[in-house]
Amino acid sequence: MISAALYLSRRSLANATRRRLARLRQPKYLIGFALGVLYYYWLIARPRSGAAGGAAGLPGAGGEVLAILGLTTFLLMNWVFGSSRSPFAFTPAETHYLFTAPLTRRQVLDFKLLRSQLPLFLSSLLSVLIFSGGHFTPSRIVRVLGLWLVFSALQMHYGVAALVRQSLEEHGVTAVRRRLGVITVLTGVAVAVALILRRQLPEVQAAFAAGPAAGLDALGAILHRGVLGVIVWPLSALVRPLLAPDLATFAARLPAAFLVVGLHYVWLVRSSLAFEEVAVESAERMARRIAAWRSGRRPPPSERRSKGARRSLGRLAPVGSPARAIAWKNVQAEWRGSGVRLPVIIVLGVAAVAWVASLGAAAGTGIQVLATLLLVFAGMAVVFGPYILRNDLRADLLLWDLLKSYPLRGADLVAGEVLGPVAVLTGVAWGCLLAAFAASLAIDLPGFPVLDRLAALLATAIAAPAFLVVITLIQNAAALVFPAWVTLGPGRAAGVEMIGQRMLTMIGSLLLMLLAFLPAAVVAAVAVAIAGVAGVDGVWRAVPGAIGLTVTLGFEGMLAVAWLGRVFERSDPAAELGG
Amino acid sequence: MIEVRGLTKLYGSLVAVEDLSFSVAPGEVLGLVGPNGAGKTTTLRSLVGIVRPTRGTISIGGRDLDRDPVGAKRQLAFMPDEPRLFEYLTVEEHLRFTGRLYGVRDSDGRIPALLRELELAEKAGALPDELSRGMKQKLAIACGLLHEPKALLFDEPLTGLDPAGMRRMKQTIVERARQGAAVILSSHLLHLVEEVCTRVLVIHRGRLVAIGTIAEIVGSRPDLQGRSLEEVFLALTGT
Repeated sequence: MISAALYLSRRSLANATRRRLARLRQPKYLIGFALGVLYYYWLIARPRSGAAGGAAGLPGAGGEVLAILGLTTFLLMNWVFGSSRSPFAFTPAETHYLFTAPLTRRQVLDFKLLRSQLPLFLSSLLSVLIFSGGHFTPSRIVRVLGLWLVFSALQMHYGVAALVRQSLEEHGVTAVRRRLGVITVLTGVAVAVALILRRQLPEVQAAFAAGPAAGLDALGAILHRGVLGVIVWPLSALVRPLLAPDLATFAARLPAAFLVVGLHYVWLVRSSLAFEEVAVESAERMARRIAAWRSGRRPPPSERRSKGARRSLGRLAPVGSPARAIAWKNVQAEWRGSGVRLPVIIVLGVAAVAWVASLGAAAGTGIQVLATLLLVFAGMAVVFGPYILRNDLRADLLLWDLLKSYPLRGADLVAGEVLGPVAVLTGVAWGCLLAAFAASLAIDLPGFPVLDRLAALLATAIAAPAFLVVITLIQNAAALVFPAWVTLGPGRAAGVEMIGQRMLTMIGSLLLMLLAFLPAAVVAAVAVAIAGVAGVDGVWRAVPGAIGLTVTLGFEGMLAVAWLGRVFERSDPAAELGG
Repeated sequence: MIEVRGLTKLYGSLVAVEDLSFSVAPGEVLGLVGPNGAGKTTTLRSLVGIVRPTRGTISIGGRDLDRDPVGAKRQLAFMPDEPRLFEYLTVEEHLRFTGRLYGVRDSDGRIPALLRELELAEKAGALPDELSRGMKQKLAIACGLLHEPKALLFDEPLTGLDPAGMRRMKQTIVERARQGAAVILSSHLLHLVEEVCTRVLVIHRGRLVAIGTIAEIVGSRPDLQGRSLEEVFLALTGT
């Protein structure tokens, strides 16, 4: 089994490397590769001022506390937000060859574990190289091996968690109920820990008053005492080899870490057996379903359980602009694909309002903080939103041939594709701006009267969609014109040359943005100047400026849509994507 | 209904299709057969407007695909071998969306009937990942039939279907032709071609090798008399 896994890893790596080298014959990959190498050189081996390698001496107890806290955060995030997709998900080829081979379930799992070690080791190596400035010393070897151990344990833990989630789902426990259950358990643990810590809290506070290092040392001492010490021990045992100052200490700390990793392995194997039972149950249910269909009966409702789609955001009218239909489709995709993001944002919003309300007399400061956060969120939605929401051509070009078979003008299609995410992000930005404005009405801001705030609200609300259109259009243009350079769909291509290509795409996008915004900024400045001459006061001059900016960007957007439409009409999916 | 004249598609120096001319009348089912890499898929993709021909003209219902692509595409439907569906649209929303793109004014009335006809009514609210392979195929067909196209193009229509599904698919093809649609069917399954198609077009290395009814093709080659369609196909393509 081990030899088979090693053979597969070795040959896959060799063939992947050969293929990557072969495609360097194409200039775009060669340029990307050169840029990627330069990027890694800059990241790892560039000459640095000061001490060589910032990670040479991680602090002792303080470092351990930070590492434990970091690890705990990762684990909590995974238990609360993780999906039932296991990190040990098998590829179709693995399923086909391994599941049908005369192997035990444990052997299959060993195979998968073994195959995942190389990527984990390379990740550890790269992380240490980056943080140590390319200087490789014996202490760095300790870091690499220690990090590898932590990654392996984390991977196994995530695997077990995924299997538990999958099993719960199979038994009808919904994701929301599961998350609530996890949060309840974790809240209980947090309360218990808080009660334990309560008596020692003054001691920790006093230590932190003397300095962060002393505070962390004090916290570290508490974490290793009593019940808390027992709870924290597995985490501590796992991170201590990573923090060892030399090879001898590393070796001495290894047995405890191996015990934690070994326990995870046993847990995983046992969970996998439990998962097998679930799989058998599922297979039996499917057999019953098939038998029911064959006999002409309808399967019972319990056998036809469907997770169902999130309710539609609106009914599409049978007649109307095709571009709006495409935009509607993309909005549905954003809505249904947002998963837990939206409920989490809503919960955070409600929590923030509740927090402000609880402040009582000090509510003014709270409102200021809330309004500022809302403005920051609106800005982030405009600047980063188009990179995050990708339900436009970046997703749909995977169905390039289907899109080309529709009776649509290319420009209509491109406009519709771009309008989807723009509409969603405009809604988010406007919502945040309006909420910030509404919140600001409750407080007195000297030098920024309510009317001026209204002017600022109008100006930003007018300009936001135009910014979004331009940024989203540039991203879509990159996907359409250089599909081989942009990741289509949810997956991400790997390789040094892809990093270089992404950098080139980013630089190109920034240049295009600059080109688009320059004339718009000139027009906006002229509009502001004219408003000043016409006697418009202060902040209100920004409104005609925003209108000028929006009209100019809108005009540029229309030209870009028309051009991209022609590009789409002349494109050949087979030539662009292969097949 | 479907008129193809001098269709040629080059990929660099590679000739995918060369000087292909044929026509399909309303009510006809033309079988497009040929060995792997013969140019069948390129031909179909050119007819649908996915691929732009290097030379030649294609007209659907009298509308030139190059000069009036929207008008031409509105009259045809393409059913690829793998159903292409949007991850986050339900079954009913797929139909509603397709109806809007093709300008089907009475889609509200047509959709329930189509869902019943293709046994998808109970899955109207389901997303594609909740559907079996056969149901996805049915949904793709429902989307293709919603606007009552005058020209239908099928690429390996029986892929992944169970026997009952295959039978229904064959009935759908024949029924649509009977209603006056011009149908092109590309498949490696010669028994399907023999059963469903009124004429056959054999293509090899991008060139037309033979076209006509099976009797006409065999009649033009005395050495093929009395042979099965499989033997005729192998002889014509030299494979």
